[in-house]
Amino acid sequence: MLEEAGEVFDNMLKASFPLTFIVFLPAVLLLVSPLQAEAAHEFTVYRMQHYDLQGQSYGTRNSVLNTEARTVQADVLSRRCVLMRLADFSFEQYQKALRQSAGAVVIILPPNMAALPQDIVQQFMDIEPEMLSMETQVPVYFAVEDEELLSIYEQTLAASASQGTSSAAEVLLHTATANGFQMVTSGAQSKAVSDWLVTSVEGRLTGLGAEDLPTIAIVAHYDSFGVAPWLSYGADSNGSGVTILLELARLFSRLYTYKRTHAGYNLLFFASGGGKFNYQGTKRWLEDHLDHTDSSLLQDNVAFVLCLDTLGNGDTLHLHVSKPPREGTLQHAFLRELEMIISSQFPEVKFSMVHKKINLAEDTLAWEHERFAIRRLPAFTVSHLESHRSGHRNSILDLRWKVDTQVLARNTRIIAEALTRVIYNLTEKAAPSDLQIFTQQMQVQKEQLDAVMQWLTGQPRAAQLVDKDSSLLSTLEYYMSRYLKDVKFYHVKADKRDPEFVFYDQLKQTMNAYRVKPAIFDLLLALCIAAYLGLSYFAVQNFGLLYKLVQRVSWKPKQQ
Amino acid sequence: MTLFHFGNCFALAYFPYFITYKCSGLSEYNAFWRCVQAGATYLCVQLCKMLFLATFFPTWEGAVGAYDFIGEFMKATVDLADLLGLHLVMSRNAGKGEYKIMVAAMGWATAELVMSRCLPLWVGARGIEFDWKYIQMSIDSNISLVHYMAVAALVWMWTRYDLPTHYRLPVTVLLGLSMYKAFLMDCFVHIFIMGSWTALLLKAVITGVLSLSCLTLFVSLVHGN
Repeated sequence: MLEEAGEVFDNMLKASFPLTFIVFLPAVLLLVSPLQAEAAHEFTVYRMQHYDLQGQSYGTRNSVLNTEARTVQADVLSRRCVLMRLADFSFEQYQKALRQSAGAVVIILPPNMAALPQDIVQQFMDIEPEMLSMETQVPVYFAVEDEELLSIYEQTLAASASQGTSSAAEVLLHTATANGFQMVTSGAQSKAVSDWLVTSVEGRLTGLGAEDLPTIAIVAHYDSFGVAPWLSYGADSNGSGVTILLELARLFSRLYTYKRTHAGYNLLFFASGGGKFNYQGTKRWLEDHLDHTDSSLLQDNVAFVLCLDTLGNGDTLHLHVSKPPREGTLQHAFLRELEMIISSQFPEVKFSMVHKKINLAEDTLAWEHERFAIRRLPAFTVSHLESHRSGHRNSILDLRWKVDTQVLARNTRIIAEALTRVIYNLTEKAAPSDLQIFTQQMQVQKEQLDAVMQWLTGQPRAAQLVDKDSSLLSTLEYYMSRYLKDVKFYHVKADKRDPEFVFYDQLKQTMNAYRVKPAIFDLLLALCIAAYLGLSYFAVQNFGLLYKLVQRVSWKPKQQ
Repeated sequence: MTLFHFGNCFALAYFPYFITYKCSGLSEYNAFWRCVQAGATYLCVQLCKMLFLATFFPTWEGAVGAYDFIGEFMKATVDLADLLGLHLVMSRNAGKGEYKIMVAAMGWATAELVMSRCLPLWVGARGIEFDWKYIQMSIDSNISLVHYMAVAALVWMWTRYDLPTHYRLPVTVLLGLSMYKAFLMDCFVHIFIMGSWTALLLKAVITGVLSLSCLTLFVSLVHGN
């Protein structure tokens, strides 16, 4: 039989040599279609939140990933890494992937979030808390789209979409031409970070007068929260609150430097950490002040605590209280002043008081003032949001462009004017309702607000990322000590035995996308190579024929 | 990708050598050690070439992406040492012309295969990332086997004292062509911006044509007079 095959081959050789020579290589070349070989693509991925709060686990529990990529369109998703783009992301698809026991989910964010349509932004903001509310066993990552990642996504999409609809031959051809991608993270498995310190900064302006002056505390938490810590820039929540706090510190420090304008109130400024984790920083601060020290400003005579939260957008302002202030208290006076200033000077702003009782049955407190209200301190929160449930406060889409500097400046003015009227008791001194204090030399500086905002949103400020030596905190301390006295840090460390909060590491990783081929491709290639080797065996075996052929061809002219 | 893929590439690169050795009758002459000697000569020649290049051709620090035609041409000229090495191998072996040519070419090409392709294949083809270039590299090694046989035959013909004068010119032209083949190919690929597969096909075709002309010359020389 081999001889017969040899004969056929001989005949082929005799017919024309170049033809057979050209048959060998193209046979292999045709089977392997001419694709440009590219190197592995490497990109940064940001892991979804991973933390325990009060004994309950949230977010993704895993960080190691080494699986092949698919898109949701594929039939089988089990143990695959599912790629999704934010533009066509939906919670149903996310759940579908998890139900099919996908190995991992990578959500690709567009490079320019500001250009996203408003409905997609809103939809994603609603999904974020839902994604976090359940514990996810597989790793969930976010990546920012670039050209190569987009090309990987599209190739995976093409491969996933064509599955199951084609014939066997098409599938075979497909395995040779299409690319699969193996997604591999380089980092180790995530583990709990021990002894993590959540830091808060306090500063004060002491009033003029006797020992036990009433104290007004102004509080804003500086940390941000989103579905992925490394992507949480938290511009509106709560970069805007901190910006206003710092601006108020600047304005009142100027008032407090002159004897004539030095008021009889102590002002306590507090930028709290861990605000998104049930206000851990505030909680410890209160414990330190009320339980451990003998005398502190918060112990004796607190007029009220003003919390600032999410104030950088919209034409509404809400005063959130857990108990409506009684007539005759300073709290009530502040509310009245706010109402009056808004109605007389800023008629475009809609103001209302929102009353919500503290629900101790819930896992987390709604607003920061509830921390104070539990300790029986009169407190309220000013925010442009009507409900604490708004997805706005916990979103990675809460970026710089979400904050309008004009609105920020206006809100700063409203709060500053109202505070001043309370502190100097201007209404009882019959000052007109449209008296403007913060104008000209004392005006709110928009450039300053803008610069502080820019600085705050220049880096992710998730509580897991701001460690006690971070530049964010040292800059904050520096800024506050320019205007305030006794600036100091407060650190919270979770209890070792029964930790109230546990953070996990490996939140930012490098992911590699390796171009791979399915196993069937290797088999196919092995067959082709075997065929080629067989052909070359016959070619070498029958080299004599070629030799004779050449001999005949080259001798002919001489015989003539 | 996997070990299987490495096996594929390895088979594609090495089996044609094995087949050629077994089927060309070299194994019957006990030519294995002679082939190893040829390989050793290859190593020596490459070492000398490298020393020479490192001494007289400093690394060209031109713009990135530009092609240094003159430098590459000079480097190709250094490949003259390969021809000398082949001649050396053949002059130390006694025997028929075909036998000498086959021993020199096999030893030479196998040494090149082991030295320059074994390691990249082992490192690259087993990695996670799939890349066609390892398959291409294996095919390329097959082409270079044919190439070295042709070159060895040309060197043998050129160094024969009884070479008829009208053969001198074509043999010299072919020798020059095969010596500068890699350089010419590089230029061609660079100018026409060819893909790696097209370049490989072109290389196969050029090598095929060269070896065929060489075979024609050889046949007419051996059987002509």
